[in-house]
Amino acid sequence: MQQYEWDFGAVLAYWPMLLQGLWGTVAISVLAIILGILGGGLVATLRMSRHTPLRVVGTIYVEFYRNTPGIVHFFWVYYALPVVANVNLGPLEAAIIALATQSSAFYAEVLRGGIQSIGKGQWEGATALGMSHTEALRRIIVPQAARRMVAPFVERSFEIIKTSSLASTLAYGELLYQGMQVASITYRPLETYTLLALIYFLLLYLLSSLAKLAEDRLQEV
Amino acid sequence: MGYQFDFSMVIKILPVLWRGVIVTVELTVACLAVGLILGFFVALLRVSPAAPLRFVGRAFVEIFRNIPALIQLIWFFYAFPIVIGAQLSPFVAAVLGISLNTAAFSAEIYRSGIQSIERGQWEGAMAIGMSRAATFRRVVLPQVFRRMLPAFTNRAVEVAKVTSLASVLSVHELMYQGRVLSSTFYRPLEILTTVGLVYLVMIYPMTWASAAMERRMRRRA
Repeated sequence: MQQYEWDFGAVLAYWPMLLQGLWGTVAISVLAIILGILGGGLVATLRMSRHTPLRVVGTIYVEFYRNTPGIVHFFWVYYALPVVANVNLGPLEAAIIALATQSSAFYAEVLRGGIQSIGKGQWEGATALGMSHTEALRRIIVPQAARRMVAPFVERSFEIIKTSSLASTLAYGELLYQGMQVASITYRPLETYTLLALIYFLLLYLLSSLAKLAEDRLQEV
Repeated sequence: MGYQFDFSMVIKILPVLWRGVIVTVELTVACLAVGLILGFFVALLRVSPAAPLRFVGRAFVEIFRNIPALIQLIWFFYAFPIVIGAQLSPFVAAVLGISLNTAAFSAEIYRSGIQSIERGQWEGAMAIGMSRAATFRRVVLPQVFRRMLPAFTNRAVEVAKVTSLASVLSVHELMYQGRVLSSTFYRPLEILTTVGLVYLVMIYPMTWASAAMERRMRRRA
């Protein structure tokens, strides 16, 4: 067998394309995280509502997203949603909608888990002091729950960054899609995909080290 | 106006989707089996007294957890054959990628299970004359398996979902069949919705079982 000669140079020559892809990955991930937190707040409110029909709606939403693969959501939003809603969606919009709706389900569970982990006594104490339900939630429960939510919140956000690679299947120009283009231009899939893996690894490893630092800080307070 | 949802389409595609379901199940079972076995050995590295072995275990886990699964699949299909000088079938590449990914995540489950066993159990077993290896095998491990059963079931849910990515490599599993059918019949709404529901029906029982096991364990504790 002939020895394969590695040549990262040929691939690195296309660094502007990869950089553009990295930007695409960061952009849809950040948007999906922001929208996912807002949507997650809404879904968590439904899940914890006193009204059974609202609770059921929240539960169905969460269970649907937890029990179906992400790629189905991407394809459904891109190909099926326009049929139902009579709208035109580009790959960018479709990817963001898919990513944000699914992260809403996961963030909702983080929020609910955090809030429900706070003991009943805290609620009772707040009520005894004359606080309303909303006041107790805002001033007593959420500040305590927030600290416990940090770790699962960070974990979910990493999942979003990794899942954003599925946007490549809709031909949205994030890192993987750009990498596929580079691989087919250079005929160097080994170097290209190894480099892509390395970029993702460094990005997520760096972020997780930062998150760990922030978490440790927060626990000290 | 208003779009007419065509239910006869759903009936028509079910036999083809069924073929996909079988491949999805095969993939899930194969990847879960290989991943759980390999993950056990990775966990042994992770808890080893020898620092270099611990490092190897940690590197394995970090690499496979911090790179998106889709990149791993694409790497094993397009890049790995260049390294080994032999073409892999899409199915084998998918099994390789998903199994190693599963091994990394399940190694962390085994590890936290092993570390959750109180020191007293080790001391007790040693006190009645058991060796370290015998204690591990006969006292610690059986408890790890029992305690971690819900976590392993959750892993199975994740594996079942991740196998949908194999559609990108044209493995004829459920998602792939859905994509082909949807572009053949131009009925993405009916077809992709059905695919989503089929996944839900396959995966939800596992989620439910895992939650039920957790509830029962909490009641016992």
